[in-house]
Amino acid sequence: MADEPVGQGPIHLELRMGPKLTRPVPPEVTDALLSAQITTTAGERSGFQMAFDLTKRGAIIDRLLPEGFFDPRTRVIVTAAVKGTPIVLLDGLIVRHEVGASNQPGQTTLTVTGEDLTLLMDLEERADRYPNLSPWQRVTRILAKYTDYGIDAHVVKEKILQPPNAQRRVDYQTGTDLQYVTDLAQANGYVFYLIPGPVAGVSTAYWGPEKRVGTAQHALTVNMDVNSTVDQLTFAYDGTAREEPQARWQDPTTRTSTLLAQPDISPLRPPLGKRATPALKRKTLSGTAKKDRAQAEAEALARAATTADAISGSGSLDVNRHGYILQPRQLVGVRGAGVTYDGEYYVKSVTHHLRPGSFLQNFTLTREGLIARSDTVRP
Amino acid sequence: MAGSQPQPYESALDAIPGSHPYPRSSRYHDAEIGIHIQPDGTPVRYVKRRLLPPLGEVAEDTATHTVSSGERPDHLGQRYFGDPAAWWRIADANPVLDPRELTAEPGEEIEIPNGFPGGGGGGGGGRHG
Repeated sequence: MADEPVGQGPIHLELRMGPKLTRPVPPEVTDALLSAQITTTAGERSGFQMAFDLTKRGAIIDRLLPEGFFDPRTRVIVTAAVKGTPIVLLDGLIVRHEVGASNQPGQTTLTVTGEDLTLLMDLEERADRYPNLSPWQRVTRILAKYTDYGIDAHVVKEKILQPPNAQRRVDYQTGTDLQYVTDLAQANGYVFYLIPGPVAGVSTAYWGPEKRVGTAQHALTVNMDVNSTVDQLTFAYDGTAREEPQARWQDPTTRTSTLLAQPDISPLRPPLGKRATPALKRKTLSGTAKKDRAQAEAEALARAATTADAISGSGSLDVNRHGYILQPRQLVGVRGAGVTYDGEYYVKSVTHHLRPGSFLQNFTLTREGLIARSDTVRP
Repeated sequence: MAGSQPQPYESALDAIPGSHPYPRSSRYHDAEIGIHIQPDGTPVRYVKRRLLPPLGEVAEDTATHTVSSGERPDHLGQRYFGDPAAWWRIADANPVLDPRELTAEPGEEIEIPNGFPGGGGGGGGGRHG
């Protein structure tokens, strides 16, 4: 890509900025872009950092910066097109910017840092009550307030239904919307994150289980001579990661407490490996005795499922050599690492490193078992 | 699903990665999928007519390419997008019915779109294509 003339390589980038509705940035800004880093993680908010070259008497330092073009709460949308197919990498807001003035010519930079649009849900603390609403109904009601930024809600019903009853229990929200939605997700073993796209200005807020189903992305190939698409890949098996949650529940009428049975985690974690890893730790959950039975069961299931990922991998790849942008929060195949660590993994997080002339990605993968389930992956 | 009116196609599988019948790079990825009910009641999925973006919108930020002899639309797709299969993006931005008309006349100037569909401001009219 570095030796291709501009506008003729396989990877193109578009940067859009604006207060709420975005427009493509002026050419001076694109020319000044030194580097961009975008981190996307399942179950956490995404962040970005961009560095611009501040030339003396340049358009940014003379006109755009004083006009507030880079002020906090400015919306930033980054779209990358690989082989003509545009993929929105980020839809976020600027939180802070720093100007590093230097005596060396060409070393003066403007660094812009920000987070994705879930920052909007984290600005204001509220106290609210939700009588007779299940968790997924509460989340739907909260997310409906953020449609003016083009956020569409996709909410999946919880796996263990918790029918609400205002006579016995009314759930309260204290803190910000984002904290409450994330807490509800964790209590059910779910994740909450924002999926930017499919076109600039639109995004989907997803509250549901990690999507460990469907067709895997194009495989990461390692140790296969010229066919290798990954620069490096390391795997780790952490034996103490997996826990066996011990949850007790007390029947309010008979006052007898029972130990809940071990939940089956396959609804939340469809097995990706043939040999499941054993749980070495036993963890007693506190506070489940006084909850509703469904809530206690959901919490035990969430704990068992979220700790199950004992196997993790991390590595880096060059998008130009791999040919595809690795998308986070989906499955991906791995080949060439030996039968124990080959097979399909869930992409937990991806960091895009963009510079003029290079597009690198660092990624982390997780899985709950060893040994590939099938002897082929999607190439 | 009853009645002769075709229902909009919605499936619980839509949220599953890779379940869409067309890949992201296909021009039919964003086309609506309808369901036709045959006389005996069996539903058949089909892709509805794809409307092209109006030419006036596309022409805002395009590059101009002068056709030289011997060029084909897939050459231009490889040259401007890095993928010969992306020639349809160029055909969409030009008033041609047959993609071969794009490069039929050497010296003719054709529009090359930038490949990023504008966010927001969607809707509006469409062209048949």
